[in-house]
Amino acid sequence: MSVNSEILSVVSKFIIPFIQVFGIYVIVNGHISPGGGFAGGTIIGASFILYRIVNGSDKAKDKFSYNTLIKAMCFSLIGYGLLKGYSFIGGGLNLHLPSFPIGTPGRIFSGGYLLPLNIFIGCIVAITMYFLYSLFSEGEI
Amino acid sequence: MRKFITVILTSLLIGIILIGVSDLPEFGKSDVPAHNYVSKTYLEDAVKETGALNIITGIILDYRAFDTFVEATVLFTGAIVVLLLLRREGDECE
Repeated sequence: MSVNSEILSVVSKFIIPFIQVFGIYVIVNGHISPGGGFAGGTIIGASFILYRIVNGSDKAKDKFSYNTLIKAMCFSLIGYGLLKGYSFIGGGLNLHLPSFPIGTPGRIFSGGYLLPLNIFIGCIVAITMYFLYSLFSEGEI
Repeated sequence: MRKFITVILTSLLIGIILIGVSDLPEFGKSDVPAHNYVSKTYLEDAVKETGALNIITGIILDYRAFDTFVEATVLFTGAIVVLLLLRREGDECE
């Protein structure tokens, strides 16, 4: 299933990178400006869905295969659990384990674990959006 | 008979929930349990303790990170269940 429209194909080629860069911006700046993993993940998932609508499921399967997506999703979930569990155990029991410094508020690399956690959340949300769209519309990924 | 029992059960449930609602504090009062020190602490200490200028991110990914973890797990479970239920037979992704 794909839309055979020259205009849509050209415009989507132009606009999808911008959508994805904006999504990455929202995720990476999650701790210093409005946004975060959920919002940015939704934007990136929308760009995946646009790619699939325009180019059809065969090309989309080449670009983002089922195996890659499910591996990225499981890795993100496990990584979130391990990272935040480590932080909670170290902080709750006063163990003084080595951890990311908080740094200067306002910089990208600050805020301890917030940046990697935002990236993990964004990954999970984007892939879930893409999964739900492709399963509901075509019954396959 | 079944309809009768349904009506009775529904009115009972509605009654119980209304009893609960009638005990809620009055709208707009200042000395309710929800207005305790927590919101003040978040406003004052969140930037210093978490390093996030966006306090919402500081709260959902630091103070309440396990809540967000379970939210992500709910999303994951939803995707897996939809995959199980809606996948066409004979598709290669198994």
